[in-house]
Amino acid sequence: MSNIIKTVDVTDSLENLSEFCDIENGRISGKIFSDKAIYEQELEKIFARCWLFVAHESQIPKTGDYITTTMGEDEVIVVRQKDGGIKVFLNACPHRGNKVCFAESGSTRGFICNYHGWSFNTAGNLVGQHESGIYEASDFDKSKWGLKEVAQVDSWKGLVFATFDPEAPTLKEYLGPMTWYLDALFDNQEGGTEFAGGCIRSTYECNWKIAAENFVGDILHAGWTHDSAARAMLGGAVAKVSDFEESYSVNWNGHGYEFALDTVGNVAVLGESALNKYVHTIKPSVAERLGEFRSNMVASVSSCTIFPNFSFLAGQNTIRVWQPRGPNKIELFSWVLVNKSAPDDIKEKWRKGAMMTFSPTGVFEMDDGENWEYCTKTSKGKVTGAQDLYIGLGMNTLERQTDLPGNVYKGQLNEANARAYYQHWYDHLNAKSWSEIPDRNVGKAEVE
Amino acid sequence: MDKVFLCKVSDLAENEVKKIDNSEHGDIAVYNLGGQYYATADLCTHATASLAEGDVEDDLIVCPVHWGQFHIPTGKAMGFPCEIDLRTYPVEVEGDEIYALVEAADAALIAKG
Repeated sequence: MSNIIKTVDVTDSLENLSEFCDIENGRISGKIFSDKAIYEQELEKIFARCWLFVAHESQIPKTGDYITTTMGEDEVIVVRQKDGGIKVFLNACPHRGNKVCFAESGSTRGFICNYHGWSFNTAGNLVGQHESGIYEASDFDKSKWGLKEVAQVDSWKGLVFATFDPEAPTLKEYLGPMTWYLDALFDNQEGGTEFAGGCIRSTYECNWKIAAENFVGDILHAGWTHDSAARAMLGGAVAKVSDFEESYSVNWNGHGYEFALDTVGNVAVLGESALNKYVHTIKPSVAERLGEFRSNMVASVSSCTIFPNFSFLAGQNTIRVWQPRGPNKIELFSWVLVNKSAPDDIKEKWRKGAMMTFSPTGVFEMDDGENWEYCTKTSKGKVTGAQDLYIGLGMNTLERQTDLPGNVYKGQLNEANARAYYQHWYDHLNAKSWSEIPDRNVGKAEVE
Repeated sequence: MDKVFLCKVSDLAENEVKKIDNSEHGDIAVYNLGGQYYATADLCTHATASLAEGDVEDDLIVCPVHWGQFHIPTGKAMGFPCEIDLRTYPVEVEGDEIYALVEAADAALIAKG
């Protein structure tokens, strides 16, 4: 009990915050991508507060299996317990703070600190130390000095999230009706999903929000930015999104999913016809499971970000976390997702296809990295950073008459999700606790 | 030779280990491996740790602190960082009661932490 983490003190919000973000008028300031004071506020009011993706259950199937990752800049260990549960601990010894686990993943009986030999079991309890007798002589109570456990851990369909904030709403409330859309990728077949292969790590000199915002709802860039990559992989241009008869941008609590209903537009760019065929083959069973509408989303032209920094592309099946490393740097952790029930050769083709397109050497990833780095670099200019940036596409596109859940906007060539994302970002930075965050959702919270 | 009462058969489930306090000879760990009973010193020969808090895996006891291992029937040290074998005791079962036969205290055989 006493090993529960101490929460950080919440400082006052920045006084001039509204200068950086004016969503009603469709503008943000470049400064939000480089300002150090804003970044410090983000670590405290977003990364120490929100639910953050930490693992997929398939990475740690057995007792003692663990992975290491970060929540914001805080290093954590995610470990499967004897009772089948999952705990998340700070990857720091409570004696002098040394890191206790250096591997990215593995299976263990516990964690032993290199410095003074403090030894912790997988439940985080301190079970012994080098020269343990001298601690006993000091009336040391080892039950109080286990690894520090994060406040809340929960999972949804294989995705494990954690939050440092004991006051955070439940994960279910946090995700809201977005789960209805997430099912299209994470629950389209019996047995659910798993990660194929390990974690792919790389760094970019860009602000974390630029990447997250790109996935929350910026398909607009694809036809232009990725034109040459698409020609290399597909032998032709990216699908012209404005030609789609029906597409949407949906958001909730700052999360956003933009999608078309073309079934295979995203998977097609992997250049593996067997994968397109797989999607078509499972489609009838997806329609039976999730309905016709979502069976069109399995690998369609789409992207999604769950606030603040968890993103994915259904079809390419790249799953990613934009880990903040200062205002001008991210570490990208990415994985490839497959259906557990998919044949082995299909899983392998997905792994390779995602590596060819969305990995440090991937042809699409290169295109994005260059743009994102320069969006960040220009904002470091004293004068340049103070200028307004336009974020007003698709004002007045809210669909009021719809059965779809969430805040639904017409068309995916639309900055509605980016606006909702930055509005939510602003609301967090402007709030001292969860209770001060306004509910700006206007759509249906439940699926009818 | 002391005959030391350890516990009742009914109190020790299969593949379980239990610590029996004994100030005279040092604490004793008693094991039930598939209906066969064994007894060893409870104190790990490497560091201060009660082996009874560790896990029984097949016929090995895994120390809870540094995960060294001992072969339960013979006490042989089987895994890093344990290098010194564990003292074992012959066991007698009389009805529902399990006893260890312990040689008069030989300080050299009681492992130090």
